[in-house]
Amino acid sequence: MAASARRLTRRLAGQIAVSFAAALAFALGYMFLRIEAPPDPAKAFPTGEIVIGVDASFPPFALNDGSTLTGLDIDLARAIAAELDLPLRFVNIGFYSLHDALISGRVDLLISALRIDRARMDDLRYTRPYFDNGLVLAQAAGAPELNFDEPAKTRIAYEYASSAEGQIRAWEAAGRRLLKLPYERPEHALDALRLGLADAAIVDATTLRLYQRSRADWMADQRYLTNEPYATAIRIDRADAWRLVDGALETLIASGEVAIIIGKWL
Amino acid sequence: MSYSPSRLRAISSVFIRLLWRQRRRGLALFILLALGFALAWRRPAVEQVPLGEQQTVATAKPAVCVHTLLENEVEEAKIKRSLQLTRELGASAITQFFPWAYAELTRGQYDWSGADRIIRRARRQGLRIIARLGLVPAWARPASGDSPTTLNTLPDSAFDDFARYAGAFAERYRDAVAAVIIWNEPNLSFEWGYRPVDPAAYVRLLRASYARVKSANPAAIVLAGALAPTLEPAGSGAGLNDIDFLDQMYKAGAAEHFDALAIHAYGFQDPPDSAPARGRLNFRRAELLRQVMVAHGDADKPAYITEFGWNDHPRWANAVRPSQRSAYTIRAYDFAEANWDWAANLCLWALRYPADLLSYPDNFTLISADFTLKPIYFALQDYARGWERSESPWLPAPAD
Repeated sequence: MAASARRLTRRLAGQIAVSFAAALAFALGYMFLRIEAPPDPAKAFPTGEIVIGVDASFPPFALNDGSTLTGLDIDLARAIAAELDLPLRFVNIGFYSLHDALISGRVDLLISALRIDRARMDDLRYTRPYFDNGLVLAQAAGAPELNFDEPAKTRIAYEYASSAEGQIRAWEAAGRRLLKLPYERPEHALDALRLGLADAAIVDATTLRLYQRSRADWMADQRYLTNEPYATAIRIDRADAWRLVDGALETLIASGEVAIIIGKWL
Repeated sequence: MSYSPSRLRAISSVFIRLLWRQRRRGLALFILLALGFALAWRRPAVEQVPLGEQQTVATAKPAVCVHTLLENEVEEAKIKRSLQLTRELGASAITQFFPWAYAELTRGQYDWSGADRIIRRARRQGLRIIARLGLVPAWARPASGDSPTTLNTLPDSAFDDFARYAGAFAERYRDAVAAVIIWNEPNLSFEWGYRPVDPAAYVRLLRASYARVKSANPAAIVLAGALAPTLEPAGSGAGLNDIDFLDQMYKAGAAEHFDALAIHAYGFQDPPDSAPARGRLNFRRAELLRQVMVAHGDADKPAYITEFGWNDHPRWANAVRPSQRSAYTIRAYDFAEANWDWAANLCLWALRYPADLLSYPDNFTLISADFTLKPIYFALQDYARGWERSESPWLPAPAD
């Protein structure tokens, strides 16, 4: 009697263990499938196309030459659509209406030199950034790192009244020994660096890249001082569309295609 | 230390007798405390910031005015600081938005607390106030159905409701507000509730509002227009250009229903003295609107430039460099002083936003959201206060 009870208990325990293992396997498989299976583009974009909102007044990111839209953001949008194998359509909208257009569903995606804004994250979700337009400290290639403790003040060139001036003020407030060299245009600040009139210049990353394109014989070392990442944005409730676009960006960044697009325009 | 039961009874007895003798004072104290708690409970949790002493504006250029954006500012201290900085700039007036939707959340029940806190502080700084009125409460908007409505969707049936608000505003602030602007940029579809723009409908709104405002305060100046500078042709879904819109306003009988025209005169990329042209957006486009007024026999009415300015974003296609923005702004004031005897205040867009928008609109402001004063603030202050600037703030371009 006791032996038969023990057998029954063992059998029951075995059955429970097998059931538990099966349930665990099912749950893991379900989670794996849910996480890893890519969404269906046709369902994520039910109109059969990606409608992209862009403010085409931001050269070289997006501009309207009268008949067509061109620019870095336009090329990036085309690359994302190609990656997802979907046709795309642009809607040119002023900045003040861009976010409303996304939230109201007039467009699926914003690609418009958008800086990531925490205040908007209840309504939209940003993808990974594709470019950082923060301020950079430019120095002549191979120049030693700036030493603000040297007897002679460090000469910093920048554009008058630009965001670079805010950085200079912060350095001054921190007690760094500086000789401020404000110029009327950022290109003049970079000229000063190139000609040895300044030890460093502070400009945004786009300005430095454009300047170097026009001065192929001159190279500068650069170090980011601030970060202003640009990202694309999708309405918060469109999780599948976000996964697709973010995934496409990941692929394009890994393959070097984003770098090629940036290099084409900057 | 220990007490015997008899000693404890004695102490209790003394305490009870004391309470009984002081019962009236105790009751009074209790009532006072209860009242205090009740008042503290009902009092809204508003930061208490002293109004400060009455101030007057010191300025050499009384036409200098700025457009403030205080309606969405939460903290009283920031409202006070913004208005102090306006006075210290040397601006004698502000244009400020007073949303109808904030004041009459429920039909017929006005809550003036938002407007009060801006107006009393502006007056304490010695500033004149030009009030822009607009933004429709939910109850006054049409049921959405299939066509979406926005905070700017005002059906004809609600024109009288808006006019009633304008009249109530003029009545309440009769000693504080110099002028009211009826609506904003009605020549843009976006500002007209994403509907086709309609000059005649705007004139109906103007007529209803004018009657109410004048009835409440005959001295109030009613400003019409505040039209957006745009080149949109007739039939465009986005709006109608300001010149044609104003002309059609006059043809619809607007002349008798406003005291002065509000003009938006953005410079875009042109210097302030660039000649105006119908197909071009620049500062002197204001002269084309003036021509329309004169053509319709309204030469005696003044105009208020309630928005103008340049933008210095490094990437925006319609922007100029920061150095140009400073120089153009000051030259614009000089140009208007020398050539526009019909223009009253010139209000620069904008003093400061409550929060940065992280794009080009931030580069219209004189002060950043964190109250950093931009170089253009100091340049304009030098000009308005009559302080001489001894040298150029930038170095000459390096020569190769």
